[in-house]
Amino acid sequence: MASYAIECNNLTHYYGKKMVYENLNFRVEDGSILGLLGKNGAGKTTTINILNGFLQPRSGECLIYGENSQHLSPSNKARIGFLIEGHIQYTFMNIHQIEKFYSRVYRRWNPEPYWELMSKLQVTPRQKISTMSCGQRSQVALGLILAQDPDLLILDDFSMGLDPGYRRLFIDYLREYAKAQKKTIFTTSHIIQDMERLIDDVLIMDYNCVLAQQNVNEFMRSFKQFYLEVEDPSIDLKKEDFVVNVEKVHNKVEIYTYESEAFVKKFLEKNGIQHRAFQQVAMGLEDAFIGLTGKY
Amino acid sequence: MWKAMIYKEWLKIRWFTLLYTLLGMLAVGYLFLKVQHDTTFNQANNYWNLILFKGLKFFSLLKFIPLAGGLLVAVAQYFPETVNKRIKLTFHLPFNENKVLLSMMVFGSCCLLVVYLILIALFSGIAAFYFPSNIILPALVSLIPWFLAGFSAYYLVALIVLEPVWKYRFLYLLVAATFIPLFFKNGPTAAYQPVNITLAVLTILLSISLLFSGYRFRKGEM
Repeated sequence: MASYAIECNNLTHYYGKKMVYENLNFRVEDGSILGLLGKNGAGKTTTINILNGFLQPRSGECLIYGENSQHLSPSNKARIGFLIEGHIQYTFMNIHQIEKFYSRVYRRWNPEPYWELMSKLQVTPRQKISTMSCGQRSQVALGLILAQDPDLLILDDFSMGLDPGYRRLFIDYLREYAKAQKKTIFTTSHIIQDMERLIDDVLIMDYNCVLAQQNVNEFMRSFKQFYLEVEDPSIDLKKEDFVVNVEKVHNKVEIYTYESEAFVKKFLEKNGIQHRAFQQVAMGLEDAFIGLTGKY
Repeated sequence: MWKAMIYKEWLKIRWFTLLYTLLGMLAVGYLFLKVQHDTTFNQANNYWNLILFKGLKFFSLLKFIPLAGGLLVAVAQYFPETVNKRIKLTFHLPFNENKVLLSMMVFGSCCLLVVYLILIALFSGIAAFYFPSNIILPALVSLIPWFLAGFSAYYLVALIVLEPVWKYRFLYLLVAATFIPLFFKNGPTAAYQPVNITLAVLTILLSISLLFSGYRFRKGEM
């Protein structure tokens, strides 16, 4: 039987009268890497804050290793590595001071991955973290989380402010570590190409609802984009049951659906929709995300 | 927990605390330079007469020194926690959240206490060269509310800085602006003696007020 690091049940939250989501349910299996994707304001950071006990949901609950996230015991908190959006750390410390501090906090502290990452940085031993670049600070934050040796890593927008080199370093290091050590990761990021390299499962949220929650490879296999040029640009396909989303510019149409090519062709034929240049378009995760959620 | 928390808190406030201690000692030194000057030019017996019978407070230079210390240490200690909501890191440490806040408060209070004791010891030591005990003891009694004001300011700044909502910060600021002047009412030397215990109890009660701001932050108030 699968065991879950995170279980959120019937989670509902409002900011004043504005609903963020209602009855949100999701689970993160032990040892998996789940990416939470959503547009700005869809509730990603709200979810992270609820998971870390920094926000009380209107109703519902999130359990982390079976404990309500609003009342996590110290021993459970020690099992969770938390990366705050923007790689926030105690910037009044230098890399030696911060390692010394956390080594006194966590019993399972293993400084090796931290110093391995620090050796890649061009910083002086006494340089305060506040004077480091965003990329360097991200490596400090990642190194500290890895040295903490947590069972679950919660990463809030880990790619924020990082250049491509640092993002790649962060992802490759993190994935290798997580897979080798059988760690669970729950992460958000604005840069979806990064997620593609990292995650096993995807949870895509839109305003007030979950659009998809499944293995990322299965999702990419089942979710499809078809391109066609219709003769009559006034044709509206949005209301068809099989259509998840349609993007249309003049007579050029992109259909996003979970149905097969044969099904779509049959539908077009059956409804007498004249078209040309029909083709299935290969998508990356970012294309699929935009296809699913729309371009605003 | 204590070892780690003391280390972190000390890194935040060490330079401010050391600088404040040095400035406080200089203030005490300057105070007695002035006493030296006044006793030399007024003659010691006249000067004593002014202190004993005319209500001269030779130590009034120290009036706001403890308050400044409380404000400085509190800002140095709690402000870095609120930049980018860094307090989330502190609450995520594998300790009980209230115990973490209390450990920060106890550490800050102890640092202030040590500095205040140094200043009081210096004051008493130098005063002993110039005055008899029946001048020094009432002076020390008069200093007590000023030092309690320092502690109260420290606790109120913690409450204000950790509060997540600006509206409430402003409200707490008004409370602080009303409460702190209670420690600085004018009066003859040692006039606060009957209320020093009450003020001390109020200050101790105030010490745990930062738990309320911490609770509000954890519930997601914004």
